[in-house]
Amino acid sequence: MSDRLLEVRDLATTFATAGGPLPAVGGVSFDLNQNETLGIVGESGSGKTVLSRTIMGLQPRTNVTVSGSARLNGFEVVGASEEAKRGIWGTEVAMVFQDPMTSLNPVMRIGKQIDEVLRVRLGMDKAAAKARAIELLELVGIPSPVERYRAYPGQLSGGMRQRVVIAIALACSPKLLMADEPTTGLDVTIQAQILNLLDRLKSQLQMSVILVTHDLGVVATRTSRIIVMYAGRVVETGSTRDVFQNHRMPYTRALLESSPKVASHSHTRLQAIPGRPPNLMKLTAGCAFAPRCAYATERCHRERPELTAAEGPGHAFACWNPLPTTRGAS
Amino acid sequence: MSDPRTPLLKVRDLSVTFGTKRHPVSAVAGISFDVYEGETLGLVGESGCGKSTTGKAIMRIVEPTGGTVELEGRDITTEKGRALRQLRTRLQMIFQDPISSLNPRRRVKDIVAEPLDCWKSVTGDERERLVQDLLSKVGIDPLVYGNRYARQFSGGQCQRISIARSLAMRPKLLICDEMVSALDVSVQAQILNLLEDLKNEYGLTLLFIAHDLAVVKNVSDRVAVMYLGKICEIGPSDTLYEDPEHPYTKFLLGAALEADVDSPVHGDVLEGEPPSPLNPPSGCRFRTRCPNATEKCASEEPLLQEIAPGHQVACHYPLRTLARR
Ligand SMILES: Nc1ncnc2c1ncn2[C@@H]1O[C@H](COP(=O)(O)OP(=O)(O)O)[C@@H](O)[C@H]1O
Ligand SMILES: Nc1ncnc2c1ncn2[C@@H]1O[C@H](COP(=O)(O)OP(=O)(O)O)[C@@H](O)[C@H]1O
Ligand code: SF4
Ligand code: SF4
Ligand SMILES: [Mg+2]
Ligand SMILES: [Mg+2]
Repeated sequence: MSDRLLEVRDLATTFATAGGPLPAVGGVSFDLNQNETLGIVGESGSGKTVLSRTIMGLQPRTNVTVSGSARLNGFEVVGASEEAKRGIWGTEVAMVFQDPMTSLNPVMRIGKQIDEVLRVRLGMDKAAAKARAIELLELVGIPSPVERYRAYPGQLSGGMRQRVVIAIALACSPKLLMADEPTTGLDVTIQAQILNLLDRLKSQLQMSVILVTHDLGVVATRTSRIIVMYAGRVVETGSTRDVFQNHRMPYTRALLESSPKVASHSHTRLQAIPGRPPNLMKLTAGCAFAPRCAYATERCHRERPELTAAEGPGHAFACWNPLPTTRGAS
Repeated sequence: MSDPRTPLLKVRDLSVTFGTKRHPVSAVAGISFDVYEGETLGLVGESGCGKSTTGKAIMRIVEPTGGTVELEGRDITTEKGRALRQLRTRLQMIFQDPISSLNPRRRVKDIVAEPLDCWKSVTGDERERLVQDLLSKVGIDPLVYGNRYARQFSGGQCQRISIARSLAMRPKLLICDEMVSALDVSVQAQILNLLEDLKNEYGLTLLFIAHDLAVVKNVSDRVAVMYLGKICEIGPSDTLYEDPEHPYTKFLLGAALEADVDSPVHGDVLEGEPPSPLNPPSGCRFRTRCPNATEKCASEEPLLQEIAPGHQVACHYPLRTLARR
């Protein structure tokens, strides 16, 4: 297909640790089209960040094994040299992390940090880079960009710093923006501003976006498709509507039902999931959710369910005892 | 106030100012509220609005610079020495970071017994029995885990241990400051349900501080909304969330992300960021971001006023009143 931007097949990332191999991502496959926004959700430790970084080709050089394939606009990331990857970073794909301070240099003016990218990557001269940097600051909604160009990261609020990081990510017009928990830790009103900004930039710049988050609220109205991860694997995927309203995998439902809702009455009893996510170094042959699952049967403990197609377009779930479909019910 | 119940905690004109005389940071700027026996009062607002400082000032972990805090009729702000320490056992506080608020090198049962040991209030046998009982109550098997060290536990389990410790002295009031904010939703739900159960079992009164609006609504009977050191609005949870009267409450609720595909896509986003508490705006502190602000809002501070039974708002033009005009 011509509008396919990213193809991920059986992608697996294993860390060699003192305690043995840790399969952080255990064989993930999905596609992403141009101009699409995909959400990747799951609790902490489910492998979202490792998956995103593996797709970017950002991995520690030692103690990690990556297998499978991640093709970004025809470029195979898995096994590519650092130099080859540097050719796609920024122009094909750029990443925004949760903590903007990890991406910013605290002792360098923010304008300079954007200039540097423009001059090194795009070969702009000093004056052109400065003009473009101010344009980018304006694009991401930083008030008085000409003055802020001279500010240090520490002089900005968390929300403003995240805007600067987004500006840097956009400097070389990437086709894919990966945002890993871009609003986690920000206040709700600032979170809404940043998510609206990402929406606007996506249409304005014709990008694809992967929105990685533990917060189902973040993806509910801002993505067209969702991947739900548990213990390093995709347990359900489909259109955002199918995942929210016609989920078949018990974990997806449990995740949705355990979070309190603004619209529910106070003192509504929450549907908590017993236990906690498994230790990845002690995964069994069965379904990783089995020890916590109300529907688990003997087979679940013995054999891992593969993703199985459901009725909805692109909808698939990994479960031996799926919940009944709600399609056609209403 | 029209509420016939007597408050367990009565906070009046509480203020806390940090910084220097020349550069004062007005973190809590004269707030008043009551917490009734057996209820949960939620305290929400964005970071830096003064929620934690309010909790700590009630505990006198930070010294209030003005106002009074009465617990069961006794003013905490003027007590000293042993009397203060005794009064303090009546209130306990649980913090956000479960792991760092417990000593990693101590055994779980000793952590839970800390307050008992400190007051030397019980014999060895009694201590053992109480600790076992408390740990069981929070869902931690004392026989399996009692002798382990805190560092061996996950965030959710540490929070259970913090709860057990906070209950050891049978407090009347529990102040929970962002106690589930660092936890994953599945674990968060376990802790919130546990808190509801223990509240009923121990007859606790809660001041529940958090920035997450859905979490706060879930546990609270009433909710107070703070902005830049002031209370904007207090009311019964369901009313306040359905019909907010203060413009800030409305924006805050509008920005909350609901895990629902059909939730309205946010149109009205509050622009800008809160001003610095070093230099708060005159009059209404929200006026620099409020779409309804008038000259009166700059010159005259709106006081917290009751507009319906149990529902107070600090705004010259409460929303429903505005709509009626
Ligand atoms: N460099 C690393 N070495 C060893 N283990 C790692 C490393 N990075 C991540 N992990 C482990 O991989 C798992 C997945 O982590 P992560 O992708 O960060 O989860 P998420 O982003 O979903 O919270 C976790 O168990 C984490 O401890
Ligand atoms: N110990 C302190 N010294 C100076 N300023 C402080 C101190 N503690 C809090 N503040 C300031 O007081 C204000 C309120 O902080 P806080 O009560 O922690 O807010 P919240 O808990 O609502 O996020 C903030 O502006 C914060 O920077
Ligand atoms: S496969 Fe079994 S244990 Fe896994 S989610 Fe389905 S029913 Fe539950
Ligand atoms: S008092 Fe004025 S500025 Fe403050 S919230 Fe009400 S209308 Fe807005
Ligand atoms: Mg992560
Ligand atoms: Mg706080």
